[in-house]
Amino acid sequence: MKVLIAEDETLIRLDLRAILERHGFTVCAEARNGLEAVELARSTQPDLALLDIRMPGLDGIEAARRMYAERPLPIVMLTAFRDGRAVERAVEAGVFGYLLKPFREDDLAPALHAAVARHRELLTARRRGSEPPRRIEVRLPSRDGHAWPLRIDRNGDGSLDIQGA
Amino acid sequence: MRVLIAEDETLIRLDLRASLESAGIEVCAEASNGVEALELARSAQPDIALLDVKMPRLDGIEAARRMLDERPIPIVLISAFTEQRLVERAVDAGVFGYLSKPFRQADLIPAIATARARFDQLTTVREQADSLAEALATRKVVERAKGLLMASQGLTEQDAFTRLRRASQTSGKPMRVIAEALVETLAQ
Repeated sequence: MKVLIAEDETLIRLDLRAILERHGFTVCAEARNGLEAVELARSTQPDLALLDIRMPGLDGIEAARRMYAERPLPIVMLTAFRDGRAVERAVEAGVFGYLLKPFREDDLAPALHAAVARHRELLTARRRGSEPPRRIEVRLPSRDGHAWPLRIDRNGDGSLDIQGA
Repeated sequence: MRVLIAEDETLIRLDLRASLESAGIEVCAEASNGVEALELARSAQPDIALLDVKMPRLDGIEAARRMLDERPIPIVLISAFTEQRLVERAVDAGVFGYLSKPFRQADLIPAIATARARFDQLTTVREQADSLAEALATRKVVERAKGLLMASQGLTEQDAFTRLRRASQTSGKPMRVIAEALVETLAQ
């Protein structure tokens, strides 16, 4: 599983990488600020992201918001901010976990695994809710100015029945 | 927000309650084992559950699985054990969070907030998907009933549809019910 980590403090970032790798994750990208995190999420296509909140430039919550807007992925915040406002903002942005610094190694992997699993459920439900229509009726214009009605039915097995209505 | 807590060690349970209440969260039920947690989830109808993993009679993971089967709510586990095998079982059961023990009060609130928000989001998306599936199923059976009516009564498509709609209006039953009954009768 490919993880993007965003953390401006080098020592914590190295620590995170070591812990995650020990738990079987692959750290595919390391960002030092929010903007870099958004760019790396685009270029390295991680399966999940672990973001600090206070980073130079773009903060982690705003970075999370922009990542979600581009491509859905599970995001967990890792931050020293424990005030309700920060939690609220992160929750509104859509994060799946919120861990506090100083973090404990034992909390990391469970939070990430839960985030991935619950996010997957959300995607499955979304896909089910946006199935293409079973029947499409169209009119095909012909060269002599007529419009030929056409009906396309999508069968359960994915095959199509096409007939002139 | 009303929370059910399940923890077999009395001192930790008291500590959990105090931590939650000091953050303005109401503890509506306290269980000291998994079976009790299940019963209280049923009778106290909490909005969220916070369960210890290692408990007598039924462990927190199995309790979570059964709770989610009966009436889904967001569940966060707390445990001194975080081996991968346990975490995997918990995640498969459907929990939204998993905190290590000794728990820190500050960790509880964000874990509960994210669990609650993502659970609500998942529920909403599922309900939308269900209503779409229902709409598709209705359309399918109405099409079928219409076809059967046209064949057996020699009606046009429009007339067949009008009949179905009228039957639905006069009986006060949904189109799907009427169509299903018709298909059952005419298809024999």
